[in-house]
Amino acid sequence: MAPARSPLRAGQGVLRYTGRRLLEAVPLLLGIVTLTFILLHVAPGDPTTAYFNPNIPPDVLEQMRRNLGLDRPLPVQYLDWLRSFFTGHFGYSFSQHRPVAAVIGDALPNTLLLSGVSLVLIFVLGCAVGIVQAVRQYSALDQVLTVGALTLYSVPGFWLGLMLILLVSAPAVSSWLHLPISGMTSIGYDSMGTWGRIWDQVRHLVLPTIALGLASAAGVARYMRGSMLEVIRQDYIRTARAKGLGEREVILGHALRNALLPVVSLLGLYLPLLFGGTVVIEVVFSWPGMGRLLYDGILARDYPVVMAATFLFGALVVAGNLVSDLLYAAVDPRVRYGER
Amino acid sequence: MRVLGRCRSPAAGSPRGGSAARAALAVVLAAALAACGGEGAPGGSAGSVPDSARRGGTVVIAGQTEIPGVDPLVPPPDYMASQVERYVLFMPLVQLGSDLGFRPWLARSWDVSEDSTAVVFHLRDDVAWSDGEPVTARDVAFTFRKAKDPDIPFPNRAYFDRWDSVSVVDAHTVRFRIRPYSQFLFGWSQVPVLPRHVLGDVPDSALAGDPFGTSAPVGDGPFRFVRHDQGDRWVFEANPDFPEELGGRPWLDRLVYRVIPDEATAVAELARGEADLFMNVPPGALDRVRSDSSLKVVTFPTSTYAFVAWNTRRPLLSDARVRRALTMAMDREAMLQAVRGGLGRVSAGPLGPWHWAYDTAWKPLPYDPDSAGALLDAAGWRDTDGDGIRDRHGRPFRFTLLVPDVRIRQDIAVMMQADLRKVGVYLEPRTRDFASLAGAIQDPSRPYDAFLLSWSEDLVIDDRDYWACDRRENPLQFSGWCEETLDAVMDSIPRATDRAEKRRLLREYAETVQRAQPYTFLFDEDRAVGLRAGLEGVEMDVRGELRTVRSWWLRPGAR
Repeated sequence: MAPARSPLRAGQGVLRYTGRRLLEAVPLLLGIVTLTFILLHVAPGDPTTAYFNPNIPPDVLEQMRRNLGLDRPLPVQYLDWLRSFFTGHFGYSFSQHRPVAAVIGDALPNTLLLSGVSLVLIFVLGCAVGIVQAVRQYSALDQVLTVGALTLYSVPGFWLGLMLILLVSAPAVSSWLHLPISGMTSIGYDSMGTWGRIWDQVRHLVLPTIALGLASAAGVARYMRGSMLEVIRQDYIRTARAKGLGEREVILGHALRNALLPVVSLLGLYLPLLFGGTVVIEVVFSWPGMGRLLYDGILARDYPVVMAATFLFGALVVAGNLVSDLLYAAVDPRVRYGER
Repeated sequence: MRVLGRCRSPAAGSPRGGSAARAALAVVLAAALAACGGEGAPGGSAGSVPDSARRGGTVVIAGQTEIPGVDPLVPPPDYMASQVERYVLFMPLVQLGSDLGFRPWLARSWDVSEDSTAVVFHLRDDVAWSDGEPVTARDVAFTFRKAKDPDIPFPNRAYFDRWDSVSVVDAHTVRFRIRPYSQFLFGWSQVPVLPRHVLGDVPDSALAGDPFGTSAPVGDGPFRFVRHDQGDRWVFEANPDFPEELGGRPWLDRLVYRVIPDEATAVAELARGEADLFMNVPPGALDRVRSDSSLKVVTFPTSTYAFVAWNTRRPLLSDARVRRALTMAMDREAMLQAVRGGLGRVSAGPLGPWHWAYDTAWKPLPYDPDSAGALLDAAGWRDTDGDGIRDRHGRPFRFTLLVPDVRIRQDIAVMMQADLRKVGVYLEPRTRDFASLAGAIQDPSRPYDAFLLSWSEDLVIDDRDYWACDRRENPLQFSGWCEETLDAVMDSIPRATDRAEKRRLLREYAETVQRAQPYTFLFDEDRAVGLRAGLEGVEMDVRGELRTVRSWWLRPGAR
């Protein structure tokens, strides 16, 4: 059992722990970009061959390679990328005609919006369904939700996305439910008022969020159900009930916090899935974000874009894992970081 | 200098004006231009609709790829970007006619010296950039100097290989020194004139990242730039000051290009009315689009052909009889129907029906497995060990085919494999992503037996890079086949100024290649564009999808 500590010391512990984790992330991320760099250059072709076009004279091609720095030895290119990375501009995107920092600056907020909303959907919906199932264990509702969750869990996101598009495009549905199936905003977005714009974005978010998050929400529901069932069998819950507390307070007030523990740690597990999912979902729903940037960048051999995108996805996953571990400590008083 | 008119293409009938005034104007214009007249007249075909009823509305074009930027000087070149540059945002000096001759556009007319070494363009004086500055001869000279600048990797520099120097005569007259060749104006139909007052101070090294190409273009075309959201859309609005003589302000208020990478999503958006036009309806969705009464389909021949390149450097494929046999063993018509829904024609050689020199008497090699077998027998390939695969000197007839990771190409490869298996040839398809495939086939060590690809022919045909014996080291010499006698023919093609002579040379070239079959030319591909039934004035051909965008209009019910 941990000795009693002052809140101040505990705070320092968390800081020290966070600092250590961040330091550990440096070699990890360096490894990720190094591996990406090697894989990219091992793959045949380069940006100039990827766009091959018989009209481009060889001397112009040579010049493009020179301008992109592709004529230099690989270690030099690697160090050069690292340098440009530390100065924060990530190089120049050949396929987008712009500096990579500007390209990422446009795409990243879109992806964060989509994956952020999906994350909320995953946990709120997942937990809610899981709780309902646990409370009504073995009821018809529980059985139906179990089958539904298992089915959704096994469905690939892109297929679900295409089915959703077909569904809302069917005349029988689109007559009463007019949901956008592609893009982030309507064509008339510029002429809308503030609330109109928000509403427009919300409507555009519905389908991609569902396609991106539903499978993971189903997974969370399974965990939540199991975890909740375990908790409500414990003595202190019986005590709470014996005190005459209402079922609502027993479940939400006493059981939920403990049942959430294993679920919170899922955050670290689902973040990579979520970002990986954006690559496909952003293509299906024409969402102008990082996933599509990465996908197009790989096809075009746009090295600086791919490097920057992999680094950012890597950093987001590392950050997500850290947040998940810190949250774990926040909800579980038994877990303390930074003490030896 | 004695002036010799070069633009001598036949006038394409009477102008089709939308109104009497426009038609009259166009007649005057045609007369003023004398022999240079053409089909530049404005208006659509539905002459009964008054102009006032045509104006207004937004057209949303769905395309599968992002238009990265609209500065033609910045690589890589992009097909849709060049369409927008040429027909939407900017004005080239000349436009291509339906016979691929040249028509006045930003240049009102031009003179060519008797010895064809000097060209003088007389520019329109009623064209302005979207920021109000007039378009002048200095802009033309600036564009030319940038295109020739060795420090700028301008992808289409070859267009101006034989253009040597420029001088500004006055505000609307510019003179060039050139070395004579045929279709010398082609570059000026592809590359638009750029604003010197905007780009003049941008250093060469900063040009690629300059906002001009991606977020702040200043143009002089029928539409003006409104906004660009990366990966999502480009928005343009009608240019109210576009010269009346060229048709004036476009009918549409706005034109939007939206990126919808997934073709199923794009077809769904078209059906829902969220998109008015989808550039590339896949063969599998054609029936659905055709059966929808609110939509229509425009198909037209492109200069794109699908082919299999045989690496004739390898002994297995060095014999023309063998290559001919492989072509005849494939049921190309069945492939065309199965994977492209019949969008195209089985090819009869390197020159497709889109080109004026195409001979309608040309017939593709027939699908004839028996004759193919006889040819293989004659070349010494027989199945001596009874394993179903032909062999010669103990070596079985097996080879690998590189295939891009595109569904319909993979389907073609599988059908080829089955067809060739029937004549005792074993083909092994290997899928590569496009960049890998492109890297492999341009590799000097030529690490492949054969590959499958589609290719867009340039509108001005000069195929020496693919076949000339004196260009054996060119990365585009995929097959490695050449004939000395053909070199002379191909060398004469760019020099022939007489159209009949040029036609004769082009046909001789095409027939020689067809005989040797260094490629199996699979099919000449048509493109299918899906659009709203209420969108009028859309005419598309090999010159591009957006060529008539200025006179597109929406029926009031479709706005």
